[in-house]
Amino acid sequence: MTTEEILGRMTDVFRDVLDNDAIELSRETTANDIEEWDSLAHINIIVAIEQEFSLRFDLIDIKPLRNIGEFVDLIERKTS
Amino acid sequence: MTFNSFSYFVFLSIVFFAFQAVAGRYRWLVLLAGSYVFYGFLLQPALLAILGFVTAFSYLAGKRIDRSEAAEKRKNLLFFSVFVNLSILVYCKYLVFLVENINLLAGLFSPGSSIPEVEPMVSIALSFFIFQAISYLADIYFRITEPEPHPGLFALYISFFPKLLQGPIERSGHLLPQLGKPYAFNYDDVRYGLLLFVWGLFLKTVVADRLAYFVDPVYDNVQAYSGIPLIMATYAYAFQLYFDFSGYTNMALGSARIFGISLTQNFKSPYLATSCTDFWRRWHISFSRWILDYIFQPLQMKWRSLGRNGTALALFVTFLLSGVWHGANWTFIAWGMLHGMFLVASTFYKPYQKKIHKILGLEKSSWHTAFQIFLTFNLVCFTYIFFRAADIQDALYIVNNMFNFHSNFLSIQNAGLKDFIIKQILSDNSKYELLILILSLATIFAVKKYNHISLFDKPLLIRWACYYCIFLGILSLHVSAKPNFIYFQF
Repeated sequence: MTTEEILGRMTDVFRDVLDNDAIELSRETTANDIEEWDSLAHINIIVAIEQEFSLRFDLIDIKPLRNIGEFVDLIERKTS
Repeated sequence: MTFNSFSYFVFLSIVFFAFQAVAGRYRWLVLLAGSYVFYGFLLQPALLAILGFVTAFSYLAGKRIDRSEAAEKRKNLLFFSVFVNLSILVYCKYLVFLVENINLLAGLFSPGSSIPEVEPMVSIALSFFIFQAISYLADIYFRITEPEPHPGLFALYISFFPKLLQGPIERSGHLLPQLGKPYAFNYDDVRYGLLLFVWGLFLKTVVADRLAYFVDPVYDNVQAYSGIPLIMATYAYAFQLYFDFSGYTNMALGSARIFGISLTQNFKSPYLATSCTDFWRRWHISFSRWILDYIFQPLQMKWRSLGRNGTALALFVTFLLSGVWHGANWTFIAWGMLHGMFLVASTFYKPYQKKIHKILGLEKSSWHTAFQIFLTFNLVCFTYIFFRAADIQDALYIVNNMFNFHSNFLSIQNAGLKDFIIKQILSDNSKYELLILILSLATIFAVKKYNHISLFDKPLLIRWACYYCIFLGILSLHVSAKPNFIYFQF
């Protein structure tokens, strides 16, 4: 799976969970850039990503992530 | 020495001039010494010792967690260090409550048996700096942040006086880099800090303390009232609490800003929230982020196989604990549970919300938004009944009697209402207080609308006219009773 594919599927998940079709993700996107992406919604996104990519994360995997780029790298590592 | 006391103005001035006078490498020492002196003014040596212990212990524990490579060892170290910090909090803040309730429970099953009662302890600021220490340790464990190598800067991060007593609860990643960076005098920072401080003083001493006139007589003797007075006192309390706490926060932010440090803003127009979830994005933000990041998210992750039920359960437990954090009293626990229940309900309603709004054509209706704000505000006010009442009995009395208008309440046959109107609203003194309140609230709306930062762009004459107005307003209109800040007790 290429980085672009992962980013595309993640964008769909974000749009679906946060109920906002205008969301565009890039490697530099952070939670500060998306109003709906707050502490309450965070784990909902993580769980939806787990289902999308058939993965399982630990809290310790996802807590240090600073932007979408690091999230993509994590998914790449887990799926390879 | 609280922010609204004269001694604090003197203290702040001394620390500021000492901070400017010493060489750059000693500036942290001035702030650290100032913070310990500030806490020492409570005249509670045990609290100072606990502050010192929590600081030293968390500093060493943070280093230890960071040095450990094995995942299991890191986790055990985190649990141990959080356990030690929480034990101190439980011992100082909740032991009396625990013993009372254990004895109550023991009395039910085996009359006469009890464990010895314990003396209540002063626990001012403990829950704030212990929560901050826990967030530091957790962030090191999750590799969000590096441990602070400089013990002095770490001690300052825990004890920095503007946020010591009532927060904001600062994350190490936000505050520590600011404490460590070289300082350069910035006139705009000092000016903005002072204005923020004075504005907070106005909110506290002129508005919040005045609102107490309309709250305390009712809440101190709830059985004497029914119907409208109970509702009005609860609405008044909602604004008293907000102006008290946001006034304090402005004073904390202003005090820090004159040293070039930006603390977290705790409020974002909370009473304009359109749902209870939205309320918690706007109210006591540094605290709500803390409970969501360190309690809710781990629980939600753990229970994610339960789907929406897991999320609901995690929310309920988180807000129950948030109630416990506010104090060892069943009223706070009930307040937390109510918020938990509202958020649980919104978790189950949310998937249908958009569809229902679409069917009813409410999607872009400003009337509907206004209704959502009205409903949320009233739900929040309902929880305040428990937050403010002296005990659960008083709170339940208010809940049972707030809509008890008797048959003809408008004709003032209700003794409680008549008494309330005559004593609290129509007396000469109260009319004057009410007028000041209305003028103050109009000022607050004007300031919110035109944003006080833009004041600095105005001509000198207008700027100084505004400064004098605020200053004279505080001097002439402040409430002289000087009650303490409400969140001081937490």
